[in-house]
Amino acid sequence: MRLAQVPLRQTVELVRIDLPPEQAEPLLERGVLPGCRICPVRSSPSGDPIISIDGSLLAFRKETAACLCVRLITQFGDAG
Amino acid sequence: MAEQRAGLVGARVASGAALQEAPSPLVALIGPPNSGKTTLFNQLTGLRQKVANYPGVTVEKKVGTVALPDGGELDLVDLPGVHGFSARTLDERVTRDVLEGRVEGIRAPDALVLIVDSTRLESQLMLVEPVLELDLPTLLVLNMCDELEQRGGRVDDSHLAERLGVTVARTSARSGAGVDLVREFLATEVAVAELPGPVQPRTLSNIPRGVALPMVDAFKQRRARVSEVVAGAGFRSPDPSGFSERLDHVFLHRIWGPLVFLAVVVLVFESIFTWAVPIMDGVELVVGASGNWLTATLPDTWFRSLLVDGVWAGVGSVVIFLPQILVLFLFLGVLEDSGYMARAAVIADRMMYRVGLQGRAFLPLLSGYACAVPAILAARTVEDERDRLATIFVTPFMTCSARLPVYALLIAAFIPDEPLLGPILGKRAAMLLGLYGLGIVAAIGTAFLLKRTLLKAEPTAFLMELPPYRVPTLRSLGLRLVDRSGVFLKRVGKVIFTVSIVLWTLTQFPRTELGPPPIDDSALASIGHLIEPVIAPLGFDWKIGVGLVTSLAAREVIVGTLGTIYGVEAAGDESFELQDALTDALTPASAIGLLIFFAFALQCMSTVAVMRRETAGWKWPALQFMYMLLLAYAGAFIAVRVF
Repeated sequence: MRLAQVPLRQTVELVRIDLPPEQAEPLLERGVLPGCRICPVRSSPSGDPIISIDGSLLAFRKETAACLCVRLITQFGDAG
Repeated sequence: MAEQRAGLVGARVASGAALQEAPSPLVALIGPPNSGKTTLFNQLTGLRQKVANYPGVTVEKKVGTVALPDGGELDLVDLPGVHGFSARTLDERVTRDVLEGRVEGIRAPDALVLIVDSTRLESQLMLVEPVLELDLPTLLVLNMCDELEQRGGRVDDSHLAERLGVTVARTSARSGAGVDLVREFLATEVAVAELPGPVQPRTLSNIPRGVALPMVDAFKQRRARVSEVVAGAGFRSPDPSGFSERLDHVFLHRIWGPLVFLAVVVLVFESIFTWAVPIMDGVELVVGASGNWLTATLPDTWFRSLLVDGVWAGVGSVVIFLPQILVLFLFLGVLEDSGYMARAAVIADRMMYRVGLQGRAFLPLLSGYACAVPAILAARTVEDERDRLATIFVTPFMTCSARLPVYALLIAAFIPDEPLLGPILGKRAAMLLGLYGLGIVAAIGTAFLLKRTLLKAEPTAFLMELPPYRVPTLRSLGLRLVDRSGVFLKRVGKVIFTVSIVLWTLTQFPRTELGPPPIDDSALASIGHLIEPVIAPLGFDWKIGVGLVTSLAAREVIVGTLGTIYGVEAAGDESFELQDALTDALTPASAIGLLIFFAFALQCMSTVAVMRRETAGWKWPALQFMYMLLLAYAGAFIAVRVF
């Protein structure tokens, strides 16, 4: 599913970034990597998602969030 | 590594005398943004900082001197906050170039201090791998340790030191705790002449050297290695900060968020217009009074005229900007340091994005309503280089306060004081509002055009980090103000001053037997006559032409110039005689043309000067000047025929 569809406060795991390398690089540098855990915390007044990742708060444009493929973390899905 | 260090220390002690002659070692301070890097830099260097630009780019070079416990000194360069060493981001490129020793005017550093926010250790340590490849004595500073522990986190720094092969220091730079450890490292680990030169040319990149991997995989692997180290150090992530969350609940609220934003915007606006004004009046008073004293004390020679009408007027026109700059930067500093600015940028972003600009550009652009000069300086907060250029390019369209005296004069002379929309809106107010609107439309249109043509860039994945809310420290605010005003006075001030002197000189020639010529016969007037054919289609005569030439220095100068040319005593924008003189000189259509000309044209040498500094060259200010001049001419041309 896409990041935009994730309900607030639901931690998900990033599966894939559907962006060309030039646009993906800033995200990768900040730790937004496939395999990382992110949690949408709130929406900005204009609907842009704000996520929590490794203790940092990052704000994305809706357009970018639409390029982030995530999956829900099931209870027994990941060890540690 | 340990033996090397011991050897270095020993050698240094032995050649103590030689130390005095050798050049100061250079240490580079590097780290992600919001890691407390600047706070640490300030703690170590205090007021002993020099700010310049790296050659040819608009990235600031901040070098300071650190006093060491043993009495020695070394230089510390505060590199821009970066998350990596991408070739695509200007800050990261420059940082990489400095570390590789490829930048003119600054040596390759002899040692490194890498500072990270310990509450977010894993993502912040991504820099450590490429940095270690430089093979320099490195100190890893775990900053914000107080917060880490307060919120229930912990880390074993000796394990980190061992695994990474670096010295580790725990600090809390805000309070100053641990900074002495940094000084100790600087004193003991950084020798002078004994350091061997780099064995191989240093190269830094996001993807590890010699690795041919797709970017994502390279990052994933690097992250995996960092995670392992961090886990091995027993890192326990702190609990989230409730304080920041509660504030964000209000500041990013669907309804409250924009309201608070609006309130902040009004506050910044008001502060520049209202609070700065008394200070500015005070400055003008002092300059005027001292000028008068000089006039009274010195004999009536050309030298006195140069001093009073040239130099003093020149200095006055520079210093008058200071109150606005200080007030604006004080506010912006508080907003930035507290962390609110990032939230404001998020709220403004969607609106700005449609035009091709960034959320971060909103407040700087808005402050252009007071004066473009500090607004352009403030636009440094816009990280993307092209967005920043687009922002500062359109800033002069914002109806600055210098246009107001001109608008007031012409509107009073030509627009009847009649109601337009009943008691709500009079014709005069409507004209004023219309002119303001014209400025915004021109700004938006130009930004749009720029982002589609010259400054066209890939759409950036808008990424804004929202740092936790913090209380700004007086010290950092103070240092920032000192820095900003220093930069302004030195760089911009020189140009404004020079132009004032040049203009004064033009009024002094050709000399008659009695001294300086009446303004009608001066060299300045000759220039007015020269351009008369060009401005005739707009309905302007040579006297208006002279006014246009002088207003190139600063817009409101035209009021005084016209007053002088029409022989009016004590001309002000409320002066009825000047208004009468104007109604004789211009048709109503031409007057509107003149208004539109002022709305569009770049008539401010101060703006040109600051543009030159902020774009590190003359290309953009020249382009801006020509573009706005053409637009102004076209606008006035059309207006004269339409009205």
